[in-house]
Amino acid sequence: MSMLATEEKISVTGDLSTTGTRIEDGGRRLGLMLTLPAQLLVLFIAVFPLLMQLYISLTDWSPLDGIGWWQAYELWNNFANYTDLAVDSRFWDALGRTALVMLICVPAEFLLGLGLAILFMDNFAGKRVFYSIMLIPMMVVPAVAGYMFFMLFQSGGPVNDIISTLIGRPFALAWLSSPGTALIAVMIADIWQWTPLMFLILLAGLVGVPEDQMRAATLLGASWSQRFRTIVMPKMKTIIIIALSIRVIENFKIFDTLYIMTGGGPGVATETISVYIYKVTQQDLIWGYVAAIALVILIALSILVSLAISRMNAAKEA
Amino acid sequence: MTAIHLENLVKRFGAFTALKTMDLEIRDGEFMALLGPSGCGKSTTMNMIAGMEQPSEGRITFDGRDMNGVAMGRRGVGFVFQNYAIFTHMNVYDNLAYGLKVRGTPASEIDRRVKAMADFLQLTPMLDKPSAKLSVNILQRLAIGRSAIVEPAIFLLDEPLSNVDAAFRAVMRTELKHLQRQFRQTMVYVTHDQLEAMTMADRIAVMDHGVLQQVGTPLEVYNDPVNLFVADFIGSPGMNLLKGVLADSDRGLVADLGALGITAPIDPALSATARKHGIREVVYGFRPERVVLAGAGQGIAMPVTFIERIGARTVVHFGDGEQRVKAVFDNDVAVQTGETVHVAVEPGFARLFDAATGVAIREV
Repeated sequence: MSMLATEEKISVTGDLSTTGTRIEDGGRRLGLMLTLPAQLLVLFIAVFPLLMQLYISLTDWSPLDGIGWWQAYELWNNFANYTDLAVDSRFWDALGRTALVMLICVPAEFLLGLGLAILFMDNFAGKRVFYSIMLIPMMVVPAVAGYMFFMLFQSGGPVNDIISTLIGRPFALAWLSSPGTALIAVMIADIWQWTPLMFLILLAGLVGVPEDQMRAATLLGASWSQRFRTIVMPKMKTIIIIALSIRVIENFKIFDTLYIMTGGGPGVATETISVYIYKVTQQDLIWGYVAAIALVILIALSILVSLAISRMNAAKEA
Repeated sequence: MTAIHLENLVKRFGAFTALKTMDLEIRDGEFMALLGPSGCGKSTTMNMIAGMEQPSEGRITFDGRDMNGVAMGRRGVGFVFQNYAIFTHMNVYDNLAYGLKVRGTPASEIDRRVKAMADFLQLTPMLDKPSAKLSVNILQRLAIGRSAIVEPAIFLLDEPLSNVDAAFRAVMRTELKHLQRQFRQTMVYVTHDQLEAMTMADRIAVMDHGVLQQVGTPLEVYNDPVNLFVADFIGSPGMNLLKGVLADSDRGLVADLGALGITAPIDPALSATARKHGIREVVYGFRPERVVLAGAGQGIAMPVTFIERIGARTVVHFGDGEQRVKAVFDNDVAVQTGETVHVAVEPGFARLFDAATGVAIREV
């Protein structure tokens, strides 16, 4: 009752527009106060480390120097880290190798995952069992997967045994210690482990394609490949972009399984960006340089991802 | 323009028999409604005609050509889905053009035919609009146009009006019937709504529990239901059905309805059939619209239990327990709840069913 009376008074005496502004101002202040803790938290966990990284990347600072990171300005090096990076052939080789692995692994995982997902759209005996088996590689701890493939690809290992049986003469390739084949073995391990994720995401996409639209297309005379091209792919555009983005980002950071299999070797034959950063960090201890590398990578990946997201939004609007 | 013939059609899903047996002749250019409650097998029948399901037994022929094993894309069947199944990622134009595109029709001809169809269905202003946000009557026209553009011989419609609100349904019914007259194609229309079947169909096939109950024009099905299911299902409210025993009287054969009294003499032709088959236990049926008030001492006497105003008419409920009657009167009918009223059935409008089998007793 008293509430009602107050409201009435406002509407009678107060100018409506000023009342509106006052409420809006109050709302904005309240909104700020309510979100401030979260904003500070985000600032602390995301923005602060980034700024710190940027700061260190402009210096020669290393933990061995005996000074705190906040005093790193004493070791200011006039962007030397970035100019070094531009001519660091080991970095560019690692970057090229990482891109090569990504350009082979991600499409392979996508095509295998899509093919398997299409097979799983049909009903067949033991589908649930196969479904569970399909997902096992993804659930294996990467370190364990690394040791598994390390053993599989030994010169006396099962892979060579199978090949000998198939070709009918002894085959004893030292996969992991030959520069030409080590990267292939690493890529096979990655494809083995991450095809299930593609399969899972793409299966979810396929299940989401409206069945009646597929039937309508069939009744209009569309063949399987026409339906796939004109109905399935457009409907799955968003989910395909998401799946590819996840794998591109993850694959770019490829490290754990690879490091256990080859340690980046032989020589630098399997040295990807992550392995290179790890070595520079842990062995060379030049952290200012590492910060510069990481920042460059972060910017490159961000551009890639934002391109993917804008493609996705375009697909959604179409 | 194709005649459809269903012969001894059976459909089983594992242990469940969706369609027990079905024989139906759908004539060239006819609008046939498959009508029945949910689970009666009408959609299964339709899906088999379209080729989405394969019959477990029996066969389907189009103009004498056996359709078993013919893929659904090659049957020349247009299908309008319950939710229209419009390709939501395409605009109106691409939806209309789809069937022609996948057949490899030359682009210039596609353009000509899409524009002609859009013109015919009054879709021209929407051609460039994305189809995801169209209103339901436009979706219906688009769904029909998309099927019609490839000139199918047969049109199948699966409850296309069930997602539409009641007020709009009347508009859509008229529009749909209008379109069918213009296309002159054989149409099979699945529905659980008798009003849709009655208003649009040339003939109605009433189904229940996977069995075809009756095929006939809307008035045949309404006036002369072949069994108790059809009598009860068709009409709103359905036919009044009272249990009775046939008895001789000095005015001829009558039905003794127990506590309700004795009915008027039964039509001599029906009496003859009942006598011939020795039927005594019957169900006496009559439409609520054919009930008239009778003078004291005439007809059957029943208490008024409820008066239901439905706008144009008034539905009066009589009796309780097993022997209940509904009657539709004009709004000015002078009855009151609680009062006992004598009612009779208009001469010639009573129907008899064999109580044992539920089958209508008819003239022979």
